[in-house]
Amino acid sequence: MLSKLRKNVSRFPVQNRRQTESGQAPAGKSAGACSGTDEIARGGRFGRLRLAFGGETLEGAGRRGEASPAVPGRIAKELNHPSSPDVTEDGLRKPRRLAPQEHGSSPQATAGGEPGWLLPLVFCLVFLLSALPLIRLGWAGLGGLTDGEGAKLLLEPATIAALRNTLLAATGGMAVSLVLGTLFGFALALTDIRGKLFLSFAFMLPMMIPPQVTALAWVEMSGPSSPLLKTLGLAPPLGRPQPLYSLSGIALLLGVQHAPLVFLAVKAGLAAIPRDGVEAARLAGASPLRVFRDILLPLGSPGLVAGAAIAFVSGIGNFGIPAILGIPASIETLPTLIYSRLASFGTSTFGEIAILSTLIAVISAAGLLLQQRMLQGRDYRPLGLSGASAAFSLGRFRLLVEGLLWGVLALVLAAPLLALVASSLVPAYGVPLTLETVSFRAYGEILCRQSLTLTAFRNSLFLASAAAVGLLVITVPAGYLLARRKGALANFLAILIEVPYALPGIVLAVAFVLLFAAPLPLVGLSLYGTVWIILAAYFSSFLAVSLKPVMSAMLQMDPSLEEAARLAGAGLLRRMRDVLLPVIAPAAGASVILVFLIAANELTVSALLWSAGTQTLGVAIFNLDDSGSSDLASALSVLVVLMVTALMAALEISARYMPEGVLPWRN
Amino acid sequence: MKTIISAVAAAAIAGLLSTAAQAESLILYTSQPNEDAQATVDAFEAANPGVEVEWVREGTTKIMAKLMAEIEAGNPAADVLLIADTVTMQRLKEAGHLMPYKSPEAAAYDAALFDADGAYYSTKMITTGIIYNTAAAMKPTGWQDLAKPEAKGLVTMPSPLTSGAALIHAQTLTAIDGLGWDYYKALAGNGATAAGGNGGVLKAVATGEKAYGMVVDFMAIREKARGAPVEFVFPAEGVSVVTEPVAILKTAKNADAAKKFVDFLLSVEGQKLASKMGYIPARDGVALPQGFPARETIKVLPVDAAAAVKNAEADLKTFSGVFGTN
Repeated sequence: MLSKLRKNVSRFPVQNRRQTESGQAPAGKSAGACSGTDEIARGGRFGRLRLAFGGETLEGAGRRGEASPAVPGRIAKELNHPSSPDVTEDGLRKPRRLAPQEHGSSPQATAGGEPGWLLPLVFCLVFLLSALPLIRLGWAGLGGLTDGEGAKLLLEPATIAALRNTLLAATGGMAVSLVLGTLFGFALALTDIRGKLFLSFAFMLPMMIPPQVTALAWVEMSGPSSPLLKTLGLAPPLGRPQPLYSLSGIALLLGVQHAPLVFLAVKAGLAAIPRDGVEAARLAGASPLRVFRDILLPLGSPGLVAGAAIAFVSGIGNFGIPAILGIPASIETLPTLIYSRLASFGTSTFGEIAILSTLIAVISAAGLLLQQRMLQGRDYRPLGLSGASAAFSLGRFRLLVEGLLWGVLALVLAAPLLALVASSLVPAYGVPLTLETVSFRAYGEILCRQSLTLTAFRNSLFLASAAAVGLLVITVPAGYLLARRKGALANFLAILIEVPYALPGIVLAVAFVLLFAAPLPLVGLSLYGTVWIILAAYFSSFLAVSLKPVMSAMLQMDPSLEEAARLAGAGLLRRMRDVLLPVIAPAAGASVILVFLIAANELTVSALLWSAGTQTLGVAIFNLDDSGSSDLASALSVLVVLMVTALMAALEISARYMPEGVLPWRN
Repeated sequence: MKTIISAVAAAAIAGLLSTAAQAESLILYTSQPNEDAQATVDAFEAANPGVEVEWVREGTTKIMAKLMAEIEAGNPAADVLLIADTVTMQRLKEAGHLMPYKSPEAAAYDAALFDADGAYYSTKMITTGIIYNTAAAMKPTGWQDLAKPEAKGLVTMPSPLTSGAALIHAQTLTAIDGLGWDYYKALAGNGATAAGGNGGVLKAVATGEKAYGMVVDFMAIREKARGAPVEFVFPAEGVSVVTEPVAILKTAKNADAAKKFVDFLLSVEGQKLASKMGYIPARDGVALPQGFPARETIKVLPVDAAAAVKNAEADLKTFSGVFGTN
């Protein structure tokens, strides 16, 4: 795991590479193309094409056994779920390929002027947020294993059933994600369909919506309970079981929730395929099908594998969907088992919970390692100079494909959300929604009477904004350090930042419970049960999200600016204020909004850590549904979906001020 | 961008300030549904200006787990507990976590409804009976009907692992001659499910996912009044009952307000509120809510509280064994 992570660390300096190359090679060569100059010199594009026709191996494949393709969308990671450390933060395809010594020759590596306190400070902060909770968890897990309880727990039927359910649901979810994500990825990256930005934006929406809201919406859409189906007269007969309360239901929804991750991975890979390749193949007489099979599919496959791995690992860690769909049907997955144990039996089960969390962490790591293995020796890195990406003209099929995409969106997004709205408007359970029965009681109750709503909004907004703004205080110096420094220590720091993000939220939450259950030593202050323990866990979980945009801005900046300031005698803080901050301000804004967006919808971490007065929006929705007030839960969900859409729209509107590749739904 | 950042910063500061300002309020842990908890708190705040109540709602077992974790961590947040059953309260009392308080209102109550030492007071009577969807083919009249072939795969009930009322209910039924654990095994064999709390059962039956369920009376009767297609039956064998007791924690930071809260719940005004919300009031002389039969026609099954405390853990295990984990 560690060695794999180490390899991905240098993903961060991807743009650095571009700058390095432009410093070493004629400027024109690196501009616009993402491939390395050495490949161009060695293979040439026709050589590559010939190999592409073979469909089997491409030049260079196998030589760089370590590399997996760059996949975008760390940010795009579904809220509080892990994604592969193989994923770069970049929306652009920027494969890592510099050997360490090449980093060493980078002009930035020698950029000095870094004060001595910077490294220890960043290191301490990152260690406290990332390493300490995990060390505590590992320690508790080990303790549970050595006293013999662990083996017994792992052999319990409940544990084995949960493990089996988790693996089945995550695998099924991965399959659904692959189908949906690939469909949209190929269509949006390679064809001439209309309305790409909107389609992309809408397809990304399910990922930004909290998973428990997705689950609620689908429950309201299907089965005998659906107010929508009742209104349409299509509701199944009495006693027909809700089809979603099943393993396949969980898998289906995990698939919908995580399809955008596959979509992003596939799209980014395909968008980098230059038009020349496809054009040359067509000129040589290849049919579109042949081009698809022999060029596009192999070139897109690393993205597929990476997307599949992220979807799988995210499915393993998902809590909201199996909680809403599985618990009523007594189908437990590992995250819901942990939640039930902790919620019903309390701290007496810490040892068991630590072991179960460790089990999830191990499966997640195994999923990522498997992906690593599958990509070994399969480094298809296209090159090309045209700068235009490949595109198929669909001709008379365009309308058909467009219809298909809109149809899928209507089914996975519009219909569930409509059902959610419908169920927030019925006066009582089991009553069809008509003009006579429509009732705004749930909204009145949620908006005007329930203090819970206000508390939840206040807590979520506070936690999200404090995490978003507070993390900048860490990520700006950390980004500066990582952008300027190379070597083992910087790599280690980057790993530390990544790990909590790659782990399922439930694992992180358990780690923080263990860490803060007892009052803090020395000060005797108890964080458990306060809003601060949630904030600390958010800091740890979203550090990588916050760092990403800041880091890309730092790397895009020409270091000569700062060097000039340094030569003129400006200290680090002065340089930060006058040179760095103005340049990275838009990126910092993007960082703030992205963390805010993800943190505001968070459920898994806060579900284990909330207490009196510290309910978050995610917890409020989950508990309202749990207490049988699903009309209130629906109404609150509708408000949250509106908030998410508005935030995403705000990001979209301000997209031109942001560094490239920060917004996951944009190209 | 600047405005966004400053707006976010303002929200952050507002959040900080308001979090700090909550320190003096009375904290209530309750298992009442959100709407009832809010209505209770609103009425109490109106009657006691100056006291601000912060409340948390979860199923009784979850609330207890949270509370016990906080007690272990040395810093229980709650001042007042308002949860489903006296069995749990008795256990807390025996562990020394409750503050005795002699409420002046107690005189109007049957002595069986409160602890002699004043550790806890029953606030209402909540019976568990049968709910059925009006579209269902069979109209059940007793518990045994749910084990009949007509109800195969159509029955659901709350899990004692989530709901305090459900635990007492299971303990009551299994102690009855002719029912016992065999009855629950027959239900499980008939495809009955047991998961979550009473709210989930109400929803499943009212929306037609299931046809029959075991559920607390007020939920079913109230939902019927709103137009949902359900009926509630007091089964022939009798109903189990929990009394939603209130208690003050020994560690209460705001004991005066907590005592006021107890008094308010037990007062005529508080009991009328309970009746208005659809609960059978515990206090003598307060009328039952609409939709209920006369008080004396409801047959309440007895429960041995001491045995219930002693066997709770074992009964939970047996129940999980019969219905699978959750």
